[in-house]
Amino acid sequence: MADDLKTTRLGVIPEPPFVMLPDPGAVFDRRAERLRFLADGSRLGPYLGFLAQIVACQAVLVRELAPVEPLPEDAVAQAIAGAMPPIDRMGLAEAPDLDAILDRLLERVAVVPMPDAADAARRALAGADREARTDILAQVLAGEVAGEDAGPALFAAAAVQVHASRLAATLDAKHLRPVRVGLCPCCGSRPASSIVVGDKRAEGARYAACGICCTLWNEVRIKCLACGTTKGISYRATGEDAVIKAEVCDECRSWVKILYATHDTALEPIADDVASLGLDILMADSDWRRAGFDPFLTGV
Amino acid sequence: MNVDLSRRGFLKLSGAGVAATSLGALGFGEAEAAEAAHVRAFKLTTTTETRNTCTYCSVACGIIIYSKGDVRDGNADIVHIEGDVDHPTNRGTLCPKGAALKSYVKSETRLTQPMLRAAGSSKFEPITWDAALDKIARAMKDDRDANFITHNDAGVPVNRWTTTGFLAASATTNETAWATTKVVKALGIAGFDNQARV
Repeated sequence: MADDLKTTRLGVIPEPPFVMLPDPGAVFDRRAERLRFLADGSRLGPYLGFLAQIVACQAVLVRELAPVEPLPEDAVAQAIAGAMPPIDRMGLAEAPDLDAILDRLLERVAVVPMPDAADAARRALAGADREARTDILAQVLAGEVAGEDAGPALFAAAAVQVHASRLAATLDAKHLRPVRVGLCPCCGSRPASSIVVGDKRAEGARYAACGICCTLWNEVRIKCLACGTTKGISYRATGEDAVIKAEVCDECRSWVKILYATHDTALEPIADDVASLGLDILMADSDWRRAGFDPFLTGV
Repeated sequence: MNVDLSRRGFLKLSGAGVAATSLGALGFGEAEAAEAAHVRAFKLTTTTETRNTCTYCSVACGIIIYSKGDVRDGNADIVHIEGDVDHPTNRGTLCPKGAALKSYVKSETRLTQPMLRAAGSSKFEPITWDAALDKIARAMKDDRDANFITHNDAGVPVNRWTTTGFLAASATTNETAWATTKVVKALGIAGFDNQARV
């Protein structure tokens, strides 16, 4: 009886962890499933369906690959002590591991039905020399993809996510510290979008979602993820009850998507970012610029 | 600032041309165009989320107030209030009174101006702030003049006024609480709660 009373919980007090490191297989499985669901009956169906298959290939690949070598412990400790992200993101562009993963990914996605333009981009990347590949990978890793490279960049990004998420998964969440507002504590990338999570341990807390290493990290709500101000924040959406909104900052004139998984638990930061392209199209006519970087949605 | 000021950023700012998107570059331009045509019919609506402190008690829980519109544009209507998960005091939780805050804001019987129920009257009537403050000051002065204690039982001089109490609000700054304490204690009021004890 006494024990029963002790374990009775009248409510759950959220204790949001600072980071939620990716379980790459689970992340890609869930993303592929969500993309398939969103593709059904959508005007963006062809693209979402294509992405679902690319992500499904990522999911197979992370399970096929030999376990990744964790980053050297002392280098990780040194980076964290210096408030730097432990994954040297830009250094990955020339990593032989990533080049090998890109080869396997391009091979695997060859069976995915895709438009001629996509197939041409895939072939171009497969046949490109090391220098050209490094250039495309560097654009993805830097979060700045040139319009003419948007096609090959998508396949490069799929390989980057496989590699970077596997590296992030080897880190110890306990040791990670904030690097700077709006930057991934694992790899230093800008977020693709952010999500107000619905699961009990962190209900109502907002997490920024990395489009490179798939890490989720806690960021205070009602705060600009580009400049960190809490002044002049408001939201734009198609309708007051929308579960995906643009968090708009009047200080730096930029915006990042915020997904309310507290209202729809199925929301996924990358899949739903792409599927809510309509919001990007409407925001493109506004005075604010998109600050989120989603490698599956470049150039918007 | 983590803002993308890449080539395409400059292109867009200068209006020099439309850069290719992932969809366009990969041959999904038709889907993108269909989505663009569809959303053109929609207008963006503005909502706001505002941090505040629950006004009920000295725990001073953090709350997030959701509104339609933006008060900075002169128009906002509160649609929902919930606990602020980022707030260290309550971490998103609220007591039953706090959870009902919206009803308190929207209540038809909410006090929005000073009201007076004159002696012998059966109803409250509006009164100006100046008149209300004069009336309160008068009542305090009269009570203090009648009941002020200048010496204790041992004959030591004291500044003691025990017939009036003072209750200050919870959502105040340290500076407000400091000033309130100085004023109240200078008058000699013994029964004083600044709601700063938690």
